Amino acid sequence: MDQIKQKKVLIVDDEHEIREMIDSFLRKEGFFRIFHTASCSEAIEVCLSDKPDIAILDVMLPDGDGFSLFSSLRRISDIPVLFLSARNKDEDRILGLGLGADDYIVKPFLPRELMLRLGAILRRVYAPPKQERLPVFALGSFTVDLEGGVVRSASGEQPLTAKEHALLKKLYENRGRIVTSDALCNAVWGDDSFGYENTLMVHIRRIREKIESDPSSPEHLLTVRGLGYKLMASEDRA
Amino acid sequence: MNGAIHILRRFVISTILISVFLLILNYVVLGTWFFNGMNVGKTPEDVVRGASEGLHGSSGSYALAERAEKLLVQHNAWAMLIDKQGQVAWGFKLPDELPRAYSLTDVAKLSRHYVMDYPVFIWEHPDGLVVVGYPKDSVAKYQFSFPLDWISSVPLRLVGMIFGNIALALLLSLVIGTLLIKSITPLIDGIHGLAHEQPAHVEPKGLLRSLAKSINHTSALLQEKNAKLKARDEARFNWIAGISHDIRTPLSMVLGYASQLEESETLPDEQRKKAAIIRRQGEKLRSLVSDLHLVSMLEYEMQPVSWKAVRLPVLARQAVSDFLNNHDVGERFSLQLAVEDENIKVNGDERLLQRAIANLLQNSMLHNREGCQILLQIMRSPDKKTCRFTVTDNGKGIPQSELADLLELPYSTKRKSPVQNGHGLGLPMVARIAKAHQGRLILTSDTGKGLRAEIELPVMADS
Repeated sequence: MDQIKQKKVLIVDDEHEIREMIDSFLRKEGFFRIFHTASCSEAIEVCLSDKPDIAILDVMLPDGDGFSLFSSLRRISDIPVLFLSARNKDEDRILGLGLGADDYIVKPFLPRELMLRLGAILRRVYAPPKQERLPVFALGSFTVDLEGGVVRSASGEQPLTAKEHALLKKLYENRGRIVTSDALCNAVWGDDSFGYENTLMVHIRRIREKIESDPSSPEHLLTVRGLGYKLMASEDRA
Repeated sequence: MNGAIHILRRFVISTILISVFLLILNYVVLGTWFFNGMNVGKTPEDVVRGASEGLHGSSGSYALAERAEKLLVQHNAWAMLIDKQGQVAWGFKLPDELPRAYSLTDVAKLSRHYVMDYPVFIWEHPDGLVVVGYPKDSVAKYQFSFPLDWISSVPLRLVGMIFGNIALALLLSLVIGTLLIKSITPLIDGIHGLAHEQPAHVEPKGLLRSLAKSINHTSALLQEKNAKLKARDEARFNWIAGISHDIRTPLSMVLGYASQLEESETLPDEQRKKAAIIRRQGEKLRSLVSDLHLVSMLEYEMQPVSWKAVRLPVLARQAVSDFLNNHDVGERFSLQLAVEDENIKVNGDERLLQRAIANLLQNSMLHNREGCQILLQIMRSPDKKTCRFTVTDNGKGIPQSELADLLELPYSTKRKSPVQNGHGLGLPMVARIAKAHQGRLILTSDTGKGLRAEIELPVMADS
C-alpha cells in the first residue's frame, strides 16, 4: 500500500489556492512527491523532466483547455489522468472520459472523494495484480462465504447455487441499501431481463431458507414492497 | 402558391359575372331607350293617319276634323291632299315654296324622302294621297333594306355575340389576372414566410412596390427581434452558467477545508462540529448551484436530452430506491408504489426523469415535516397515448389559488408569493423536465387535501 504513496502526482490548475488545497490533502494522505503547474506549457515541461505517475488536470487553463493538454500529454507519456473541472456539462464529462481520461470530477468536490478516486486509479494502474477475494460476512448466526460459495451455520454448511451467489453478491455490495428487483434481475440474467420478477422471488425465498432462522419473517434479507430487497449486513469481517 | 390560384379563380369568375351582368344591362337599357325614342308622343304615322281620316269632303271642298287639326298644330306640321291627277286639292298651312302639282316621279320621291327638306309622311285617302310635312330638320327619315337571310340570322348572331363577349371577358380576365397574380405571388409567399417567422424578401417592383417594401421591412424587424430575443436568452443562460461555474472553485475550497477540519483529530469536538456545519451548508450551496444551472438549461432549451427508451416502472423503482437510500426518511413517511402496467415505455432522459421523481418525493416530504403517506402510481391514460406518473400525498396541501404559482421560477415576475420552503426550484424543474419530454406537470390540491402531482408523458408506440 505504501508503494502507492511513493507515486509522483502532478496538479495542473490555474488557481493557486486550489493547488495548495489539493496539495495539503495529498500530503495528509501520505503523498509527498507533488508537482504544481498553472498552465499547459509548464505541465508538458514537468512531464518531460519529472515524469509524474498521475496527473490531476483542470479543464480551463490560461493557455488552452485541459482536453488538448491531455492529448499532448498522451503523446509523451501514458500516465493516468483525472480531470477536475468546474464545468458541469455532460458533454464535457463525456469528452473527457471519451478521450481516455481515468476519471472526471466536478468541482466543488469533497477531499475524501478526490482521494478515494485518485487512490483507486493508482491501485488499478500500479498495484501488482492481486487475486480479488470475494467477501465473507456474517448474518446473525449465519456466515456467508461468497468466496467458497457456501453458507455456514451451527447446523452445518449449505452450498449456494450460481444465481443465489450472484444475488447475494449484488445485495452485499449494496448492503443496507434498497436494490430494486430490476437491478437484481439485471445482475443475474443480464440486460433486458424484463419479466423475471417471479423467478427472482423464488430465488429470494431459497436464499432466505439458507440465511434466515425463520424464512417467513426475515431479519436479514428484507423485502421493500413495490421496490426490491435490502440486505441488512454488518461490516466486512473477513 | 395555392393562395394565388385561389385568388385567380375568384378573380376570373367575378370578372365573367360582371361582364355578363354589364352585357345584359346594356341590352336592356338600349332596348328600352330605343323603344321609347320611337314612341315620343304620336309617331308621324299616327299623325298622318289621323289627318287622312279627319279629312272629309269631295272634289274641291274639304274640311279637316277638329281633332286632326289639333294634332297637326301640336306637331307644327303642314298637310296637303294630292288628288289623282297630281294636283294639290287641299292644303293646311301649306308653305308657299312648295309646288302645287306633282308628277309620278315626285310622288315616288316624296313617299320615301323629303319635299324641299321637309320630312314628309303619306297616307292613303279616298281622293288621293294625304301628305303631312314636319318642320325642316325635326325628323330624320331612314330607309333600311336587308337581305332576308341576314335578317333571319340575327338571333343567331346575337347569341354568338353574347358568347363571344363572354369568351373575350374570360380571356381578358385570365390575362389580367395572371399578370396580377404574377405580381402578388412573391407578396403572398413573403407573407406566408412572415407567418412562419422565416426571413422574407420580395423584390419591390411594379404596382405593389410599397406593399413589398412593407413586407421586407416587417420581415427584417421580425428577424431582428428574434435575434435579439435569442441573444438575450443566450446571454442570460451564459450568465447563469458563468456564475455557477465561478462559484464552483471557491466552493471547492470551502468544502475542502471544512471537511478537512471536520476530520481533523487534533481539533476539539465543538470546532469539528462547526466545520461539519460549514461543510453541510457548502454541500447545500453546491446542489443549489447545479439545480440552478439545470433549470436554466431547461428554461432556455439548452439541455441536451439524451433520448433513450425507458421502462418507466423500472426507472421509478430506481428513483424511489435511490431517494430512500440517500435520505433518512424515517418512520413518519410511508411510501407505496403502485404500477398498473409494467410495460409502459417512454422516450426520455433517464437522469432527468429520475430527478423529476426525486423532486416530487422531496417536495411532499419537505412540506409535510410531521409525516404523511405518499402514493406513487404509474398508469396509462384512457387514450393510451400518454402515461402518468403520479405522486399523491395526504399532507397539508396547498390552497388552489397558489398552485399555478408553484411552477414559476422563484423571484420571477410571474410568481406572486415568495418561496416558503426549500429553494423553490424543485417543482419548476419538474415542470420543465416534463416539458422537455413533450409532457406536462399537473398539480391538484387544496388546503388540507394533500397534493397530487402528475407527470404526463407520451408513451412509446411499441409499449
